[in-house]
Amino acid sequence: MTSAPTRTIRLKVNGHPVEETVECRMPLAELLRDRLRLTGTHVGCDTSQCGACTVHVDGVAVRSCTLFAVQADGAEVLTIEGVGEPGALHPLQAAFQEHHALQCGFCTPGMIMTALELLRREARPTPETVRRYLEGNICRCTGYYNIVKAILATAEAGTAEQKASEGGGHAPL
Amino acid sequence: MFVGKPLRRREDVKFVSGKGRFVDDLLPAQTAHVAFVRSPHAHARIGSIDVDQARHADGVLRVLTAADWEAAGNGKLVCVHPMPFSDGRPMNEVLRPAFAAGKVCHVGDIVAAVIAETKHAAVDAAELVEIDYEVLPANVETARALDADCPLVHEEFGVNLINEVVHGDREATDAAFAKAAHITELTLVSNRLAAMPLEPRAYLADHDVERDETTLWATAQMPHMLRQWICRYALHLPEHRLRVIAPDVGGGFGVKGNFTPEIPTIVWMARELGRPVKWTCTRAEALQSDSQGRDHVTHARMAFDEEGRILGLEVETLACLGAYLSNFAPSIPGNSYPQTLTGLYRTPAAYARVRGVYTNTVPIDAYRGSGRPEATLVNERLLESGAREMGIDVVEMRRRNLLSREDFPYKTPIGRTYDSGDPQAMLDKLLALADYEALRREQARRRADEGRLMGIGLAVFLDKSGTGPSKSLARKGGLHGGYETACVRVNSDGGVTLFMGTHSHGQGHDITYAAIAADQLGLDIDAIEVVEGDTGRIAHGNGTWGSRSVSVGGAALHRACGEVMAKAHRIAAHLLEVRMEEVRYEPPLFAVPGSNRSVSFAEVADVAYHGARLPADHSIEPGLESTVFHDPDDSNDPSAMHLAVVEVDARTGRVALERYLTVDDCGTVINPMIVEGQVHGGLAQGLGQALMENVVYDPASGQLLSGTFMDYAMPRASDMPPLAMDFHASPTPSNVLGAKGGSETGTIGPPAALTNAIVDALWHLGVRDLRMPLTPGRVWEAIAQAQSGRDS
Repeated sequence: MTSAPTRTIRLKVNGHPVEETVECRMPLAELLRDRLRLTGTHVGCDTSQCGACTVHVDGVAVRSCTLFAVQADGAEVLTIEGVGEPGALHPLQAAFQEHHALQCGFCTPGMIMTALELLRREARPTPETVRRYLEGNICRCTGYYNIVKAILATAEAGTAEQKASEGGGHAPL
Repeated sequence: MFVGKPLRRREDVKFVSGKGRFVDDLLPAQTAHVAFVRSPHAHARIGSIDVDQARHADGVLRVLTAADWEAAGNGKLVCVHPMPFSDGRPMNEVLRPAFAAGKVCHVGDIVAAVIAETKHAAVDAAELVEIDYEVLPANVETARALDADCPLVHEEFGVNLINEVVHGDREATDAAFAKAAHITELTLVSNRLAAMPLEPRAYLADHDVERDETTLWATAQMPHMLRQWICRYALHLPEHRLRVIAPDVGGGFGVKGNFTPEIPTIVWMARELGRPVKWTCTRAEALQSDSQGRDHVTHARMAFDEEGRILGLEVETLACLGAYLSNFAPSIPGNSYPQTLTGLYRTPAAYARVRGVYTNTVPIDAYRGSGRPEATLVNERLLESGAREMGIDVVEMRRRNLLSREDFPYKTPIGRTYDSGDPQAMLDKLLALADYEALRREQARRRADEGRLMGIGLAVFLDKSGTGPSKSLARKGGLHGGYETACVRVNSDGGVTLFMGTHSHGQGHDITYAAIAADQLGLDIDAIEVVEGDTGRIAHGNGTWGSRSVSVGGAALHRACGEVMAKAHRIAAHLLEVRMEEVRYEPPLFAVPGSNRSVSFAEVADVAYHGARLPADHSIEPGLESTVFHDPDDSNDPSAMHLAVVEVDARTGRVALERYLTVDDCGTVINPMIVEGQVHGGLAQGLGQALMENVVYDPASGQLLSGTFMDYAMPRASDMPPLAMDFHASPTPSNVLGAKGGSETGTIGPPAALTNAIVDALWHLGVRDLRMPLTPGRVWEAIAQAQSGRDS
């Protein structure tokens, strides 16, 4: 259709191998949403400001709207769909429901992906740390109060859980 | 009972797992994509438009301009709430065009559209459209709009004035000012805001040629109204030929209620091309095309007697409505704003003159709170300023002026009659929650011992919600209804589906409506499902705006449930072979007390749909459902009180927001978890207006300077203060639930409360007023100016 240059990339998305030929200018978010139809990753601003498109690339939370798909060649990508599903929610996802940490639900996947990274780096963050860590994620509905609450509650429960299962092989998300 | 409990939302599971279905998530095969070509100028005459190159670019299906729109015989967008001059002259009306013809009037005005096979092809070809502009002088400043030398947005009127709306009594107000012991005077600016729901607007239309039916998936708060506007005004179709589906919608706040110029083009092209056509707004486009909010410049005076009692209020407002009139725009400054100007105070006389003006900016329309934050800023800044000037404590000043419970219903000098409220008790609650006396002591201690600038500010105010009734809207010029619909359909298995004319885009209608219905039908909440946002499944409705869903939609639902129960009762009596009075409903059984005879709700449903066991004389028709169109007697009057505690760093102008406290009266609360969440979210937007949000146009060039989230400051998690909240319910008599709107107070109070708090911190330095947003730069400047004024 267009003459824009393309490249074939191979990556893993939520554990599944993916091979796609993409325009070099295609953002990772577009690959995930339009090609792979993983529409849980949302695009809210195109300038890395809102964080709705946050996914993990090789374990690091990044903005998929400003990362080219070709930059994820060879990487392992985790999206919200790989975190947990209805019936088998991750504790953080369940906490978002329990604490009414979402209203319209649009920023939620990005919030969860950012918070997962935080909880992996810091098991018991303070409220201030949580607020600072969410600096790159905008929510227009909740005023953030209940998002912070849900993350802190997960951290609290998670520490207990982790103590119980110390030495388990599977790294917590 | 489910009403009153903090039941968890059932839709959350799909959202937290990435399984929500937003418009942009839909991508049917063969979808064509649209890119719009927008004006880079604030004001310019369009010379030639050359679309040749674009038309022949790879993958391009169509290129459209105003000429194509005209040639197709398409109509205009619509302003559904016009506001004529108070002397009866019609307003100077220019509607938003689908495509600008002749000239562009704001940055972002649409000049052309490209429809192509892919998103990238459309965007690439859009860059090939060549437009010759003759740039004209522009005005983007509201305060300048009526100056004699100001460029005209629409030359045909010879003036930038849209209308002039007058409320209250000029003579009585003059008399009040003549006998005043003290007069306070302020110029107040309500800064222009961008609503910015996090999901950008998106539309996808598809046309079924065989059935001649088009379906539009839209980020819409009011799918039925949108259907009407598209069909009746823009594309001249019978309404039933268009189905509008608003699936999951990522926040609305008013802007997704509007008929924006992109929408009819998407529908038109789907019908023309016979394939799906889609457009998703980028954030940069949203900042130059979504309708915006506020933008008032007001000069106001308040007259007091020697005890600080209000004698009169006089208000002169210039309300910018942008370059064109958007749907509801004139009614916001013309109606909502004046109706709440006197707030919760006994104000014997008031006069307000509101003039709508055009500037070369994006059209203004409803944004959460619409009219009330502007009004509250005026009333509450004047009252606190008056108190300080007269040496009266701001709380004592309010005590002397607040309405009491016994005053309700209360008719204001502007004309509105408030239905319910208990302001004195709410103030008690707020002061107890804050420990006001201790705060004042702490303020004095910090100032005396450490030279630190602590400030305390309040805002007490009336909200106005539950938009309706239809007759009242029509009397004020509205072209749309104010009723709401509910259809309660009992399914053949005894479960129930509620079809509601409202739309939830974050407000948690599902669990809220389910709780109301479950209580009334005596069923488990899991037996009840809620359907909204599809004109194919819900025939009519007016949608969600103005905090009306529970007080209008919920009231419709309540009645429909009652009708269903009455019929179920009759069927049960028939099956039990007794008179209706002998049947008692002990959920889920209809029983005859004193006997062992009973029939369950589910059995009644089964009989109702099978039909064979109904009375042979047809005295009971088959089926078990009820549809109610509920037109309320009146809108309703929530109120709230806010208190902000700040500390200002005099060296940097930085404001630390130490605490924020709220007390809300939204009548009966159906789900406290959801109502608290609504207050939280509203506060973020209200604090945003007060402290950081600002749409900025360069006065010289008319260029939009706040064009991305890098420049338009959205509140972040660490901007939110520690919050304490409480509720005080005085149920409204205007609906059976007693519920009042509970979603907008958060946006109404903070501009006044925070400005008051910062002025309180700086008053002794000579600072008398501040302009929002209260950024460190502005606060620092105000301090510096006050100081230099003292030194000179």
